[in-house]
Amino acid sequence: MDCLKCQTARGCRFGLALAFFVAVSGPTRAGAEEPYEVPEEPSVSLRALLDLRVVRGTQAPSWQEGGPGTLRYGGVQESDGSSERVTRFAISQLALEPSAELPWGVHFHAQLNWDGDVDDRGDTSPDHDVIRLVESYLRKDWGTSASGWGVLAGVSNPQFSLENMGPAWTPKYTLTPSALNSWLWEDGRVVGLEGEWWKTTGNDVDLNAFAGLGWGPDRMGILLARRGWVLSDFLNGINNKFPLPGGAYGQQFDERDDRPALYVGGNVGDPWKIGKLVVGYFDNLGNLGVQGVWEMRYGVAGVALQPIAGLDILFQYLIGKTDTRVNSFDSIVQALYPLISYRWRTHRLTFRYDDFRVQDEDGPPNTKQRGHAFTVSYLFEFGLHHRIGFEYITVDSTRAGVSPPGDDGWQISYRFRY
Amino acid sequence: MRALRLRDATTIAVVALLGVTGPLRAAEIGGRVVDPQGNPVREAVVFIDQLAPGVAPPVNGRTATMDQVHRQFVPHVLPVQVGTQVSFPNHDQIHHHVYSLSRTKTFEIPLYKGETAPPIRFEQVGAVKLGCNIHDWMSGIILVVPTPYFATTDEQGAFTLRDVPAGTYGVVAWHEGSKVKVEDTRQSVTAGAGASPLTFTLEVVEPRVRPVARRGYE
Repeated sequence: MDCLKCQTARGCRFGLALAFFVAVSGPTRAGAEEPYEVPEEPSVSLRALLDLRVVRGTQAPSWQEGGPGTLRYGGVQESDGSSERVTRFAISQLALEPSAELPWGVHFHAQLNWDGDVDDRGDTSPDHDVIRLVESYLRKDWGTSASGWGVLAGVSNPQFSLENMGPAWTPKYTLTPSALNSWLWEDGRVVGLEGEWWKTTGNDVDLNAFAGLGWGPDRMGILLARRGWVLSDFLNGINNKFPLPGGAYGQQFDERDDRPALYVGGNVGDPWKIGKLVVGYFDNLGNLGVQGVWEMRYGVAGVALQPIAGLDILFQYLIGKTDTRVNSFDSIVQALYPLISYRWRTHRLTFRYDDFRVQDEDGPPNTKQRGHAFTVSYLFEFGLHHRIGFEYITVDSTRAGVSPPGDDGWQISYRFRY
Repeated sequence: MRALRLRDATTIAVVALLGVTGPLRAAEIGGRVVDPQGNPVREAVVFIDQLAPGVAPPVNGRTATMDQVHRQFVPHVLPVQVGTQVSFPNHDQIHHHVYSLSRTKTFEIPLYKGETAPPIRFEQVGAVKLGCNIHDWMSGIILVVPTPYFATTDEQGAFTLRDVPAGTYGVVAWHEGSKVKVEDTRQSVTAGAGASPLTFTLEVVEPRVRPVARRGYE
């Protein structure tokens, strides 16, 4: 009960803060200006996103609560050890995105996230839902939108995802991203520097390349080795703890060996604007001689096609290897998904197939996971600010020889974006 | 032979009529827009807002294009005559969601790519500020003016209003960051031979331009 009061008060404070910021910033209708007057661009702005859900998740408790369920929302554990499905009412995401234009052309941007839920029994999720800092950086660009380069300093995520391209890094095509992109937004956050170069060539080919280094992801890989792949739109921050199997919590963003992670990536877009190819490589350069450090490196490649108006086809593949010296968690991880999505006016219908696996490379404990999932999602946007969505996911995942029961779920979403 | 002569006579008559009432009498009004220090002001719009007595504005069946290229509106400022239909093609590889909350014209074109969006007609004079609901930094302006006689200044601040029928007009200058009201810039000019170049002086605050975000939000 104390937990509920605490969360409610915190939620109220956050809501009041949101209302205040929304009142004083952001795009507004022009006032009583004369017809030819143009309102000045504000130097400070704030975007907000609120996503409310009704969810009927997996029967097994979710990984979010230390259970074997592979979706973000799951059932509850009964006293006799069995589990039961529940319906949850969730604020799946409340995101604030302050931005500011600073002197010398420097741009500031940050994103804070909060979420929480209550089930049909009146129980709230465990009190690990702190206000999370998802990103915060300063950026300076030189050149034009057709050709130039930029430097970013701060908290950021390598931009490898083809799905998490919506506002506040939400998935663009579905409510829940693929297993591959779910993990990319759990692990890999760095505090560091990133440089980016871009150019549109004379024959209209779009080129983009970026590279960065940063500190923080020294526990990268532990989630896949100990928990496995999941499908979730939970955006991790750098200041929150993360649930692990068995009810334990760990700090994902945790610099231990003072050795920076490195990453590189890029994409190429064709002159006819039909598609683009995205590749990336990440190595946290974990020093296994330091206690608690995990080594993780992975490569990712994908293609996004728009062969005809309204039709999007995506394919993305990731392969990586994680290792830690103390325990026998050496694993090779792989995930892929094809996605097809069709937009007609403000309606979007999407189908996605997920395939994911963890291959155990040494002795016990067994980290092996083999699974696949099928997602169907319908999104409908209305006005500048509103979206409703429905999604159904069914997952067939076996981990260390055990399949959690009833791994499917549906959810209805209403999203307000300011 | 007889037919040919008749056609020649008709042609001569048409040319003679045009010479009296049409394009042969049209004139140009030129000049510059500068700031108080005499520096050229580019991307200002100069237009006739008061027609000469007896001169009716032509019926407007024009169309214009506000493009979207490299996550920017192109051109940044598009002057059009009131009544013009403007199309908004998106030549980027990503979707845009064009909107305006301006009092002059409120509209939105939900997420789209290519040239599928229907054109929008602008039926009221004034500035229409454009944005993209996905890409906050995208900013453009459609300046809806009452007559077809308008021009945008070049790098030297120069402009030329072309094909202006003979008569005396009110000409004004506008800039996105001008501190001077449009009606306070009005100058009276008589179009025709011997008209002196106009000079408009605008105190301009360079508009704040948000950098193009290279991260996310497609």
